[in-house]
Amino acid sequence: MKKILNLQVNGETHEIAVNPADTLLHVLREGLGLIGTKRGCDSGGCGCCTVLVDGKAVYSCMLLALSAVGKSIVTIEGLSTDGKLDPLQEAFIKAGAVQCGFCVCGMIISSKGLLMENPHPKEAEIRQALSGNLCRCTGYHKIVEAVRIASAHS
Amino acid sequence: MARKNSATTAIGKSAPRPDAYEKVTGGKGFTINLKLPGMLHARILRSPYPHARIRRIDTSRAEKLPGVKAVLTPKDVPQTKFSPVLFEPTLAATMVQDMLILSDRIRYAGEPVAALAATSVEIAEEALGLIDVDYEVLPAVFDPEEALKPGAPQLYETAPNNVAVGPVFSFGDIEKGFAEADYIFEGTYETQRVHTCYMEPRVCVADTDSRGRLTIWSSTQHIFGLREKLAFALGLPESQVRVMKPPYIGGGFGGKLDMGLHEPICALFSMKTRRPVRLEQTRYEEFISTTRNPIKMYLKTGVKKDGTFTARYAKSILDTGAHATHGAIVVMVHGFFGFLLPYRCENKKWEGCSVYTNNMVGGGYRGYGCPQGAFAVESQIDEICEKLKLDPVEFRLKNAHKEGDPHPFNPGFTLSTYRFEDCLVQGAERIGWSERKAAGSGRGSKKKGIGLATQPLWVSGCMGFPDIYEHSGAIVKLNVDGTADLAVATVDLGSGQIITLSQIAAEELTLSPDKVRVTAADTDTVPFDAPAHASRVTYSTGNAVKAAAASAKKRLLEVAASLLEASPEDVELVEGTVRVKGAPKKSMNIADVVKRAESPFLVMTAQGPQPTSVQEKGTIIGVSSMAPPSNPSPATAEFVEVEVDTETGEVDVLRVVYAHDIGRVINPQGAEGQVEGGFQQGMGFALSEKISFDQSNGACLSGDFLNYKMPTAPEMPTQIESIFIESNEPTGPFGAKSLAEPCVIVPAPAIANAIYNATGARVRQLPITPERVLAALGKL
Amino acid sequence: MAFSKLKEVYTPQSSEEVVKLLKQHGHGALILGGGTFLHGLSARGLLPDVEALIDIQKLGLDYFTPSNGVVKTGASVTFTALEKQPELTKAPWLGVLKDALEYIPVQVKNMATVGGSLASSLPLFDLPVAFMTLKGSVVAAGPKGNRKISLDEFFKGQFENALQRGEFITEVLLPVPPRRTASAFLKNEKHANALAILNVGVSITLDKAGKCEEARVVFGGGVGDVPVRGRSCENALEGKRPNKELLKLASETVEADLNPISDHRASAKYRKAIAKVLVERAFETALQKLN
Repeated sequence: MKKILNLQVNGETHEIAVNPADTLLHVLREGLGLIGTKRGCDSGGCGCCTVLVDGKAVYSCMLLALSAVGKSIVTIEGLSTDGKLDPLQEAFIKAGAVQCGFCVCGMIISSKGLLMENPHPKEAEIRQALSGNLCRCTGYHKIVEAVRIASAHS
Repeated sequence: MARKNSATTAIGKSAPRPDAYEKVTGGKGFTINLKLPGMLHARILRSPYPHARIRRIDTSRAEKLPGVKAVLTPKDVPQTKFSPVLFEPTLAATMVQDMLILSDRIRYAGEPVAALAATSVEIAEEALGLIDVDYEVLPAVFDPEEALKPGAPQLYETAPNNVAVGPVFSFGDIEKGFAEADYIFEGTYETQRVHTCYMEPRVCVADTDSRGRLTIWSSTQHIFGLREKLAFALGLPESQVRVMKPPYIGGGFGGKLDMGLHEPICALFSMKTRRPVRLEQTRYEEFISTTRNPIKMYLKTGVKKDGTFTARYAKSILDTGAHATHGAIVVMVHGFFGFLLPYRCENKKWEGCSVYTNNMVGGGYRGYGCPQGAFAVESQIDEICEKLKLDPVEFRLKNAHKEGDPHPFNPGFTLSTYRFEDCLVQGAERIGWSERKAAGSGRGSKKKGIGLATQPLWVSGCMGFPDIYEHSGAIVKLNVDGTADLAVATVDLGSGQIITLSQIAAEELTLSPDKVRVTAADTDTVPFDAPAHASRVTYSTGNAVKAAAASAKKRLLEVAASLLEASPEDVELVEGTVRVKGAPKKSMNIADVVKRAESPFLVMTAQGPQPTSVQEKGTIIGVSSMAPPSNPSPATAEFVEVEVDTETGEVDVLRVVYAHDIGRVINPQGAEGQVEGGFQQGMGFALSEKISFDQSNGACLSGDFLNYKMPTAPEMPTQIESIFIESNEPTGPFGAKSLAEPCVIVPAPAIANAIYNATGARVRQLPITPERVLAALGKL
Repeated sequence: MAFSKLKEVYTPQSSEEVVKLLKQHGHGALILGGGTFLHGLSARGLLPDVEALIDIQKLGLDYFTPSNGVVKTGASVTFTALEKQPELTKAPWLGVLKDALEYIPVQVKNMATVGGSLASSLPLFDLPVAFMTLKGSVVAAGPKGNRKISLDEFFKGQFENALQRGEFITEVLLPVPPRRTASAFLKNEKHANALAILNVGVSITLDKAGKCEEARVVFGGGVGDVPVRGRSCENALEGKRPNKELLKLASETVEADLNPISDHRASAKYRKAIAKVLVERAFETALQKLN
């Protein structure tokens, strides 16, 4: 049986019908068309589906949509406003941190969660904050560099 | 590190990738995002048994579930045997045709048994549980050496003793070589099954038009190969299949170099239902769909006291799993580039064997047989040097090929640029090689060490390989706004083909890279290109792109010459402007020339309407389709520093220095990124990654990222340094050769050698888990 | 996730309501904490009968209150919220918790809850070992009211615990130990998302003379169905002055208490070998906090 619920995503309220077992990831992608949040493993291991819930990075494949009611959700689509990129997005481009790009939205969201709490992290803190996000292209080197660039600008 | 080069407009610059903007804002272009109206969702039922015959399949209960639209069982699919490998012609001699889309014989746990398509993934999943299968379970064999023994379960009637292929190559006189040796070294080296771990799962959508023609969207590394293999397996003319090129895919690394079964299954469902059909593999399915083949290598090497090779012998047992797939070809590349060719030696012999087992199938993976070979060869060189007290840098130089030598694989070509020595010397200097301590001499429980490994010889594509496609094409079209469109079949796997090819086209047209746009393409509209594999795109496709751009430029100059009332020989293109030689004021920019060429007969000017000439008319376009002129070898050396916890066996990689001769560097930032990512894959292969199976029933135990341990950011070294030695390859586009694979090949032996240097303990089996380190230290 | 029968996700406002729902749905009900282990349960085929999830985030169980010699942690406290408690950094006796939280990826820490990590009852987890090291007990609310269950008695097997039908965990109680107490945690597994090959929590209390008044050693990871106490090691330390030699000696005894598993990630032999090393190192770390 589907249930109608309201989700706060990127500052807007969306009314949407979901099955009780639907994950937030499923609802974001299939229901709201927010395809920046990726399904890489659907089992809480790759980090491609990371979103911010009440300002904290979580795996959206692990969170039931019904448990996200009343919380503020931010996806990659919510980071840039009026076509102006978030400093993290700019930095990822500049540092060459984007290769295949499948992990990148999750990486940026995790980094956003970090910088919101700790605007000037040390390298080890950046790496630790990204330990739940896998990347197969970059070796993380330029991703860490991108976060450093963005933090220097905040 | 931006490379200053005032003589170029595009080459040698760290131009940002045009796709990066889209990817950081969401990445619409991934195939995983594609939805079509009325689309059905397919799922595959997989066998729980590693070896079985299917007696009966009853799908009636599944078909009754509302929402289920079609079912496929072995009797519903063409029973044409094929090989799924994309880069060779279907009937090439090196291909083994042993696969069916669905078969009533099961050869590994997880092999597809049946499939169904439904209106949602959830319904399809539920319906899978309603398919009743009666299996006759057969005895299974998982160890390739067991599979070779008499009496082992046989997988194919056509392959006695489970041998898929067993190539043997011999040069010189191996016995004489061993007789001349002062020392003979023997060792056995073993590698494991690892996954490419592209982040975007394999996914495809198939649709059929009203006349039955198929269109396929797929996260694949080769659109033309997919067209060919799909048409073959389905018994269709190739022209009945159109494969769309994805704007980019979420990684491939060789793992998307074959037709997956999801592709023909979706195609068949679409042909059956006349609706679009989508199938996305789960991560678990990914882990049992493709892997780097494990190889056990027996090495026997004869050397003189001074370190000169006198004889090199190897036997390689490759586990090709349930079907030959890539395993039949990987073994050859492994034998030649992983063993026979990298070093000079007159007497050498190699016996390869790809063995069928009831394990999952193999696939392509960066390095294609050579990570397995290099682990053995480069580890053994370290052992030889330790025993003979020789310097590993000098040992390699003594036995290496030299610049100007004939190419050892293609004697028709020469090693025209080959700066292997510079790689070793500069890398050694950067890491502090001369400060290296004696093995195991550090104090305390945590010991540091430095190790070296090389891949002296590699490819820039497959020119000279008899069975492998190696030609490319490109279309370059100039636009009225002075930009250029570039159409190629090459798929960007993430490694930056979009930007490097744009830079090559831009350089030829004297534009900045942002003025070139890589367009949409599909098998209907662009010339053939071999896949994005074999470190080939920059060199091979790059040459084709350069040729197409040159052809467009030639036409541009002809039109401009007519407009400037000069002869074509007297005009030149400089930084986007065509000008008459010696009269720089008589000039037009590209946009104005193109506008004129694209204009109607009368063109409005400030002076009123003016007629244009027929000779000036027509889109300025250049097309190429060609094979590359050669197959130049890059050269690679890698030095790593590790710290080993000798009480727990845990290994930390502290620092990495790579030195590469890749020819001219097209995009320095992109090149560094390739190398850094390559190290992560190599380090995972070396230390932690392994697809594990339950040896009692063949079930995969590492089908998620909790159990399959690919290195995370905190585990990676904080220092990965790249030295690029820019030889200027005369046959390459603007001097370029290739980069992609050696950086993945060398880490495992470099790390193994560094662990030895740190502890005095040698591990000859991958991955070098903490447990294996402790065992090698004699502490278990 | 493989919920084929899930019909409802409840978000009750009181414990009484939870108990009522648990009664109503019987075996078909599952308490939902952070939900980070749902995939794990799904992969093990343990979800198909679940028809109701009871999300306890609205019960107000998100407190961390040290008072009267007991630290009470609400079941809904996330790992991140726990990590941020100033006591974790200040109080050496809580070191084992602080250390255990460092290994876990931030996305999991932001969702996973204290109650969930214990109720899952999987010996491979880190936090249960840390809580057990601290002599923790859980408060279970149920149809007959609340009862306290020591963690030493709580874990009964993989996914099995002492909770009775209709009961759920509302809080964890940690007795505040004597002043000179410190604890530490170590895990053998570098990969953030991977479960422990072996982990160990240790705690040590020194008397005025600097002798070990009480020691506690708990092993998790691939040690069997439940976390295992290292009693031989504890006994070897108690009453003695802990120095390098004693730690070495005590760590050698862990073999007697351990009968670890062999699996695709490591052999029992390896687990035994590193158990000694980890115990010794963990005690060294704990003792450093007391100096």
